Amino acid sequence: MKPDDRSFRIALVADRYVNPPPGALDALAVLAEAGWGAMQLPADDYPADIAALVLAEVTEQAGEFSRHGYDFVLIGERDGLTDALAAAGLAVPDQITPSDAAELLGFLRARPAPAVSTWSWLDDADSAATTDRG
Amino acid sequence: MGHRGTRGVAFVAHCLLNQNSKVGDGAHCAGVYSPIVDVLRDKGWRIEQMPCPELAFTGLNRFWAVREQLDTPAYRQHCRRLATAVAGMIAVRAERGEDIVLIGVEGSPSMGVHITSSDPARGGRPEWPDGTAELTSGEGIFIEELRRELGRRGIVPGLGGETHALPDHDELAQQTRLESLLDSRTGEAQ
Repeated sequence: MKPDDRSFRIALVADRYVNPPPGALDALAVLAEAGWGAMQLPADDYPADIAALVLAEVTEQAGEFSRHGYDFVLIGERDGLTDALAAAGLAVPDQITPSDAAELLGFLRARPAPAVSTWSWLDDADSAATTDRG
Repeated sequence: MGHRGTRGVAFVAHCLLNQNSKVGDGAHCAGVYSPIVDVLRDKGWRIEQMPCPELAFTGLNRFWAVREQLDTPAYRQHCRRLATAVAGMIAVRAERGEDIVLIGVEGSPSMGVHITSSDPARGGRPEWPDGTAELTSGEGIFIEELRRELGRRGIVPGLGGETHALPDHDELAQQTRLESLLDSRTGEAQ
């Protein structure tokens, strides 16, 4: 069975780095290269009520990762994020507003190892489950 | 990857940008699943990440499951809550005249678009033989709830599914299908 390839590392990413204008920093490309996952923050042009709902969902899910020791960083910023994180019992993670891909890559690669880097049961090659692609 | 400008907006399953959200043993790469992102970038589609309904409901240590195990009133209510938030975002984009596609995960009990997983008898101690034929035509529960909410708002999105969890997954075929879907929405010839 193919091993689980997750990195246990996730970046909260401002929309302008997920959907950059031409020539600007593409954070998804850098995250893919560095082996990090992304959780996208709502774009600034959404109405406040919709953005608040989305931020609440993002931070609730971030809380689940955080409880399990996954590493988190913040790329860019988003109005309302600090309050949404606090409501989920989370502090603002280490943050960067990178000017280019090299700066972001260096920041990600300098992170210490996450508190968790494996699940013991994932190492169990005898696992025979076959469903849930969710 | 390079971003060429916006042809439309692709609302993608959470795990396509974050494989850390997958059920244990399900992560196919470290984080961002590039094959889908590359096609969307190349075709000039904006990316919006949907929440992972299973992560928020049953957590990171959830067992693998089929539709029948998740299809409870509480899970439906949870999916409807998430779908309302996502549909709100989609409505904003649709009102601006932007085209919408949903990219789910084929085989998923929640995010399947054309293929979900089903086994009415599954339950109890989570051990079952490899190769059990749980894959079946149909949508996952979240996609079903989201399309219902979008239908209520008069929005008809394009539908595509990422296939890397299917036994016959072919990355080139998946890429071709996605490109074809995006082109069909923008009228671009292959």
